[in-house]
Amino acid sequence: MTPFVLLDGVHKQWSPTVRVGPLLLGIPRGEIVALLGPSGSGKTTVLRLLAGFEAPDAGRLVIDGEDVTALPPARRRCGMVFQHYALFPHLDVGGNVAFGLKGSPEPGAAGQKVAEVLALVGLAGFEGRKVQELSGGQQQRVALARALAPEPRVLLLDEPLSNLDPTLRERTRRELRALIKRVGITTLFVTHEQEEAFDLGDRVAVLNDGRLEQVGAADELYERPASLFVATFVGRANVVRGGGATARALGAHDGEVLVVRPERLRFADAGVPGTVRERRYTGAAAFYQVETERGERLEVLAGPEAARVGDRVYLEPAGVLTFPEERA
Amino acid sequence: MSARLARPAFTLLLAWLVLYPVAIVVADSVRGDAVATFVSRPGEWGALWASLWISLASVALAAAIGVPLAFLFEWLEFPGRKALGSLIALPAVLPPFVGVLAFLFLYGESGFVARAVQAVFGLRGPPWRLQGAGAILLVHAYSMYVYFYLLTRAGLAKLDASMLEAAHALGAGRWETLRRVTLPLLRPSLAGAALLVFMTALGSFSAPYVFGGGFRVMTTQIVATKLNGELPLAMVETVALALVAALGLALLRRTEGDELLAALGKGAAPPRRPIRRAPIRALAATAGWLFTVLLLLPHLTLALVSLVPYSSWTTEALPPVLSFVNYQRLFGEPERLRPLVNSLWMAAASTLGAVALALAAGALARGQRAPRAPRAPRALHAPSPRDRWRGPIETLIALPWALPGTVFAIALTTTFSVHAPLALRWVLVGTVFLLPLAYLVRNLPITGRAVLAGYRQLDPALAEAAASLGAGRWTTFRRVTLPLLRPALAAGGSLAFVAALGDFVTSIVLYTYDNRPISIEIMSSLRLNELGVAAAFGVILMLVSALVLGFGARR
Repeated sequence: MTPFVLLDGVHKQWSPTVRVGPLLLGIPRGEIVALLGPSGSGKTTVLRLLAGFEAPDAGRLVIDGEDVTALPPARRRCGMVFQHYALFPHLDVGGNVAFGLKGSPEPGAAGQKVAEVLALVGLAGFEGRKVQELSGGQQQRVALARALAPEPRVLLLDEPLSNLDPTLRERTRRELRALIKRVGITTLFVTHEQEEAFDLGDRVAVLNDGRLEQVGAADELYERPASLFVATFVGRANVVRGGGATARALGAHDGEVLVVRPERLRFADAGVPGTVRERRYTGAAAFYQVETERGERLEVLAGPEAARVGDRVYLEPAGVLTFPEERA
Repeated sequence: MSARLARPAFTLLLAWLVLYPVAIVVADSVRGDAVATFVSRPGEWGALWASLWISLASVALAAAIGVPLAFLFEWLEFPGRKALGSLIALPAVLPPFVGVLAFLFLYGESGFVARAVQAVFGLRGPPWRLQGAGAILLVHAYSMYVYFYLLTRAGLAKLDASMLEAAHALGAGRWETLRRVTLPLLRPSLAGAALLVFMTALGSFSAPYVFGGGFRVMTTQIVATKLNGELPLAMVETVALALVAALGLALLRRTEGDELLAALGKGAAPPRRPIRRAPIRALAATAGWLFTVLLLLPHLTLALVSLVPYSSWTTEALPPVLSFVNYQRLFGEPERLRPLVNSLWMAAASTLGAVALALAAGALARGQRAPRAPRAPRALHAPSPRDRWRGPIETLIALPWALPGTVFAIALTTTFSVHAPLALRWVLVGTVFLLPLAYLVRNLPITGRAVLAGYRQLDPALAEAAASLGAGRWTTFRRVTLPLLRPALAAGGSLAFVAALGDFVTSIVLYTYDNRPISIEIMSSLRLNELGVAAAFGVILMLVSALVLGFGARR
């Protein structure tokens, strides 16, 4: 089946060293894809290419079978929620939401649609409010309602939760996902937070330095990372370069890099020897910093009473990811 | 003086300077039969109507030139954009009367353009006369579009690019976005510029005075009436003009809207779009350069005419002899040097006074409370003395701006022609002090606005930090507040100095022989047909203005 949204070999060169792509990414109808990457990795550029605010140097953008590469943003029918929302301060909530609704033949249709969309985001009756008077979370929902009102084909979200209070974020995240699923719209959103990407996205696309490292479901990325970058960027990881005694003890060959998750290291009677230097208590478990004899630090996740600072311990790996040494 | 009395006393001082003279004119004007005379003469109504429509037309013309230019220079990238963008503000360094002079030499019936047309087509007489409403509007459009240009550019620079992208994403094309998003967001800037142009045009005196001919606006009408000796009628006219100004101010303030508009935007302004197609890029650059030359022509004309010796240029298209003889006379003859010295000392003194008053106003209305020993907490939301006096002080400081210069000239000459110390009136008419006092009052809004804005940007924690380090109130002011206000003081002070230096409208009403300023000397040189000397004075004014403004804009 052909994907609903397709970035086909899309490429954008900013300067000899800064570029995005070439990218190949297909999104089936109704799927939510998270674009995850560190700042400067080109996430927002991908979003802006799809929205039409940037033009690619090469490649095709296809939405619902239509090649939109040459189409101006106004005719792409992509709803976009901006990082700072970009609500029009000279219009009230109703005016903002109605902005994208074309003059309808029957009067009142626009007003009805505005009320409908506002109710959808839980802001029924907010039409007359000034956008400046709303809280950050409410502004975010108005921005979402405004983007959804013209019934776009694709929804694009640029760091949709970054401007919210941390305590509000987790709840908003779940509400946002429920809402998008209810509307059933194909969605691409940008984030630099792994937790957000895992929670909100059906699939996660990891972007690094303008290239797609891996696209997959959350557990796939975590359990079977395609590259050293994905392994270290997604989830906590101990990285052990090849060549040392520790690496050999963990079973590495020369020219290999090992990645061990903290929860895949166990305190045991034999294995890599070391000393517990720090213990960080998190409630149900604790993180232990173990210093090996060669001075490497390894992080271990274990029960809260598994060891004490100063203890001599041995570490045994229960699962090691191996990657070839990167060419420097 | 105890701190408790400082604010009321200062407010009274401001009221005496700003409000009292106007109140006296209003009170005097309703006495006697001058009002009846005013109402019965159709010429008066004609002048009032002319003032109004000329001002409105000036707003429209200035916007038509300034707004597109601002978009061109802020949104598009083309060769020479930067250099042209700063040159385009050049009309600002021409004091009003000097600008009129330059226009006279350039586009007047015996100006360069007229002579060139005459020569090319072999006409016997001058091809046109630069007179009437059209001439006034030409000068206004040239000198006032700068307000629209600068304010619109500033507004565009603050515009959040994501607002425009949001509109595009919602299906709005380029024109629809301009109409539904960009222009509404620019409304405060546009309304501010419209207000500035309206007020400036309403108070404009030089252009109607020189080019008006039989066409009278209220400012020239007032001066003519006063010269006729009909002072009561002049007062009624003054009040009528002030009323129109107040009306315009009230109307435009309503459309200005709240300043919250820009508050939501957090993103950066849209990047400049390079013009890609080579022919169009060349066209834009050429048009830009041509336009700049057009803007610079008055300055160049002035410089050229200043090099023409007396009566050496008659019918030729270009002056046959050029020399520095006018400048030599200007600096060599003490009687000619006098006006220059007069203008400089009066501008300096009035600027110092206006800056000092503005600083006092800032400290009393906006300054930080010097942290003292804690005292019993006041009831919640009870206004402090600072809050209570802030409104009156800031209003009084800004008031002279809302009134044309002629109004203040008439008001001051009325108030200070009577010896009544108990009514706080002394005879200053005929002394050299009245004119600098008028400059000072007129410049209060300029320095006040800059200093108050500077105060608003000060971090309240700084005064507290200084206090916690052991600095007293004066030390804090001298070592923390004043250094931080320096840019605001330089900006406000330089603008005030230039305005006073080039003033014509108040000078013509209030000057005496002993303190005649440059603009008056230019006028008398013009009467004696000493065009070169007049132009040389104009060039000096222009250079000093540019120098001072450049100093004030330095960061």
